Amino acid sequence: MVSSNKLFEEPGLKQITVWARGVYENKEARDVVVALTEAAAKEGKYVQAWENYVDLPDRIYVPVRAYGKISDQPIESKYVYENETPDIVVLTEETLVKGVDILAGIRPGAVLVVNTKRPPEYLFKFLKKGTENLKSIITVDASSLAKSIITLSGAEGATDASGIGKGLGAPLAAAVVKATGIVEFENLLKIVANKQAAKSAYEKAQVAEVKTLVNAG
Amino acid sequence: MSISPNEVPFAGTVPSPKTENEGMITGSWRTRRPILDADKCTECLICWISCPDSSIKAASSGMEFNLKYCKGCGICNEVCPVGAISLVPELDFED
Repeated sequence: MVSSNKLFEEPGLKQITVWARGVYENKEARDVVVALTEAAAKEGKYVQAWENYVDLPDRIYVPVRAYGKISDQPIESKYVYENETPDIVVLTEETLVKGVDILAGIRPGAVLVVNTKRPPEYLFKFLKKGTENLKSIITVDASSLAKSIITLSGAEGATDASGIGKGLGAPLAAAVVKATGIVEFENLLKIVANKQAAKSAYEKAQVAEVKTLVNAG
Repeated sequence: MSISPNEVPFAGTVPSPKTENEGMITGSWRTRRPILDADKCTECLICWISCPDSSIKAASSGMEFNLKYCKGCGICNEVCPVGAISLVPELDFED
């Protein structure tokens, strides 16, 4: 019998999971996946972006997720509602490293992008599970580069009147591009509204390899 | 009904819940942790009655926060008349 893990074995598929705080960063989480997938679609890739409603995102501060899928081939697992094996994990808020199992199911070589001022060594202490598959931690102080936009415009499939990548979404998506090269940075810039924040995040994002963090103790 | 009508409490009022709900642990929602300055605290109990999650306990030694359920909403900090409760970023604490 085929294992359910191998049912949708898609070599070209990259899964992006963004964790955020309910209501406050609802838009920012969605913007990261929408900006990345729209940029990938410009490159002729097959994409999907959606939000997890199982997390009940109407509750303020509740950890919520937004998902993206980018693939060279048509996505066969398009009806699977959650990213069970993410390649890229993004946190719009640093405290999510504590008490939330953000690295559940990550694939070997996965990267973690965090919006924080703190050094990656300090954040690494809070990651209790799943670090054996983690390749690097990327830190970027997105909150200093852009202002978070608190709105429910664009939630639940409605039109987003505030613009894609107007707030924290732009710098965080730029940090993902710097770490993984999943899309061309030029294509991302065409999508996001706050181009200046995306550019400075692309320059300032710091990449720390998990191997060196482990060796450092 | 599992109990007879005679045993139903007057007006349907039941004692307030005293047990914790293990199915809804909300401590991971918190981004700021309330910290009490015991010297300033007058034990007026305004934070205790204002806490939406009943996460503040009026102990004999002073006010105590139940961090397993505290969501860090900051209402206690807001209502405290003497400014004894401050909110500190959760990641400053390693526990």
